[in-house]
Amino acid sequence: MSSTGRVVLGWLLATAALAACGGVTTTEPASLQPTSAPAQPTQAAVQPTEAAQPMPEGLMLPPVNPLELSGTVVTAGSSTVFPLAERMAARFEDEGFAGTITIDSIGSGAGLERFCVTGETDVANSSRAIREGEVESCRAIGREPVEFRVGTDALAIVVSRENDFIQNATLQELALIFSTASTWSEINPAWPSEPILRFIPGTDSGTFDYFVEEVFDQDEGPILVAANTQLSEDDNVLVRGVLGSPYAVGFFGFAYYAENADVLRVLDVEGVPPTAEAVDDGSYPLARPLFLYSDAAIMQAKPQVAAYINFFLTYVNEEIVDVGYFPASVDALDQSKKAWLGAMGRGG
Amino acid sequence: MRWEGEAELSLRRRPRRREALIQGFLFLCGALSILTTVGIVYELGKESLSFFTRQLWENSNKPLAADLAPDDPVMLVGTAGAALRRGDLIRVHDEIMQVTAIQGLRLTVERGLRGTAAAAHAAGIQIFRGNRVTLLEFFTQTQWNPQIGKFGILPLVNATLMTSIVAMLVALPLGLGGAIYLSEYASARARAMLKPILEMLAGVPTVVYGYFALTFMTPMLRSIFGRDLVEIYNTGSAGIAIGILILPLVTSMSEDALNAVPRALREGAYALGGTRLETAVKVVVPAAFSGIAAALLVAVSRAIGETMVVAIAAGAGPALTLNPFRGAETMTGHIVRISGGDLSYDSIDYNSIFAIGLLLFLITLGLNLISQRVVRRFREVYE
Repeated sequence: MSSTGRVVLGWLLATAALAACGGVTTTEPASLQPTSAPAQPTQAAVQPTEAAQPMPEGLMLPPVNPLELSGTVVTAGSSTVFPLAERMAARFEDEGFAGTITIDSIGSGAGLERFCVTGETDVANSSRAIREGEVESCRAIGREPVEFRVGTDALAIVVSRENDFIQNATLQELALIFSTASTWSEINPAWPSEPILRFIPGTDSGTFDYFVEEVFDQDEGPILVAANTQLSEDDNVLVRGVLGSPYAVGFFGFAYYAENADVLRVLDVEGVPPTAEAVDDGSYPLARPLFLYSDAAIMQAKPQVAAYINFFLTYVNEEIVDVGYFPASVDALDQSKKAWLGAMGRGG
Repeated sequence: MRWEGEAELSLRRRPRRREALIQGFLFLCGALSILTTVGIVYELGKESLSFFTRQLWENSNKPLAADLAPDDPVMLVGTAGAALRRGDLIRVHDEIMQVTAIQGLRLTVERGLRGTAAAAHAAGIQIFRGNRVTLLEFFTQTQWNPQIGKFGILPLVNATLMTSIVAMLVALPLGLGGAIYLSEYASARARAMLKPILEMLAGVPTVVYGYFALTFMTPMLRSIFGRDLVEIYNTGSAGIAIGILILPLVTSMSEDALNAVPRALREGAYALGGTRLETAVKVVVPAAFSGIAAALLVAVSRAIGETMVVAIAAGAGPALTLNPFRGAETMTGHIVRISGGDLSYDSIDYNSIFAIGLLLFLITLGLNLISQRVVRRFREVYE
């Protein structure tokens, strides 16, 4: 029985693999998530940049010439980092990179798992810092994660534009909104006694982890058992859900709010609106760093990966505001650039 | 008698190599589907088994009351938290122990079990109690949330039933009506036009039906019943879309069944003065009942297993509700969402989707068995 099973499974896997690959020689696993095909020459707002154009401030990395590079750059991870990574990848390809960059939007935890456990990816995108356990898994497969801070996201608490009763929420109110309260009026009698419809990122996402950490003190129980809760790793599903009712509320990375700012409204948290200044000076309570993780050995073995990260770090500040996030401080970015130089063995 | 030079006449069957080859190939084709099923069942069973046998640790909230030395078989615990019982497997920090006797707040334990090492533990540390997902819990609890130890499959099954029932409410009358029209009323020309169009419906990718439900059915339901009543993701619109999706199946199979009723029966009914409607409803449909019932049961199986439509339109959080205007995640929808992000292999989430898959498989298998019985039981044999 078991040997028959194994034979059949082998056959199934072979068939599946054939079907997935469709004859193309690639070792990338098939993925449920739509893989971005960033080879869009129509990317507006991207000006051809000379490779060696100096940055106005901060450390400079050795110039990259995308024209000389090819091969694959396999990345996966945070859906929050996704729009930024997609933009940077598109620009990298616009400037002549002939290989392919895949970006799977599967959540930070899942992305780090692909990077550290299965070792399928070259770069993990993450909207939270890597955890101790994940670093250990990485070491177990011979990878030493190198951290690159690329920007800052302000987690946006959003409601529909039709919602006219809530402007501001304290962290305490947020904890109630996303857990035990069943109607709005239970939290504040001035609010309508309508059920709260919740739309939150799935449990694989760094956004979920971050929110639970900040608002629920790392206890994911209350938010998961809350009634009327829809979870999705796809932020567009959440946007659509929040749009559906004046009594709906959700949260996700700021870029998805920026993209839908005409129909969504973002709440102040503890009286502070998520603006560039508030994120910069740290007064907005739900601001968090965005990261790329890679490994020195991979970067040295695959020059296109090193070049992609270099390019990312060099030009991220020209794109990040447009995507809807906030630039990392010059210091933080310099730190990342030093990490790059260190990983490439060129000293800090 | 034999003449010189005459070849021996052999009456034995000559081996036909090509024939054997073809026969073998055809057998393989048939065997393949069976082997595939066996493989799937094996994998489902294996992973589900580890779902039900996996050791879970549940915080009993009971603290250790006094420091515990590595070789001390007796521990003192606080009064707070859930009670521990004799025989319970407990975990303190990294060490696994078994409770062998209890006197008040004094527990006698066997230390360092399951390959863990006995170690010193400080007072105040929380004790975790070993637990397993039981079948009873699986089928009777009303919350599904494997990450926080809620293992009641009911909300998912309920949502699957909701979408399937709505789908059948759409597909049954429309499909049967369409089949009766095509088989009893339609002119040859109308039939030649309608059937291909209907079969075209079957060729539409299900993802299209999903967005049809989300961007057309849901707004329509909301404009009829009011925005506050109908949520943006709801089982009703998904069910209606599935109903349209399985319509060609119901119509086509029912029509075949109606067509198979001998002409003599119809002529007999007409001869007795029956109108076309009476003939169709009172004679032809009952005569074709077994075929129609089989069609419906196959359609129900299809509706239960439908994935893309519910993943897009039905909702993405388990909810136990009988209201078709509310969002609720079905079994298939949950599998899609959970496996959409990458899952840690060998996590409880990963095993749980196989348990759901196995249950789905059993439901569909059961329906198919019932449909076979129905066909046999109600079959009308003519001639």
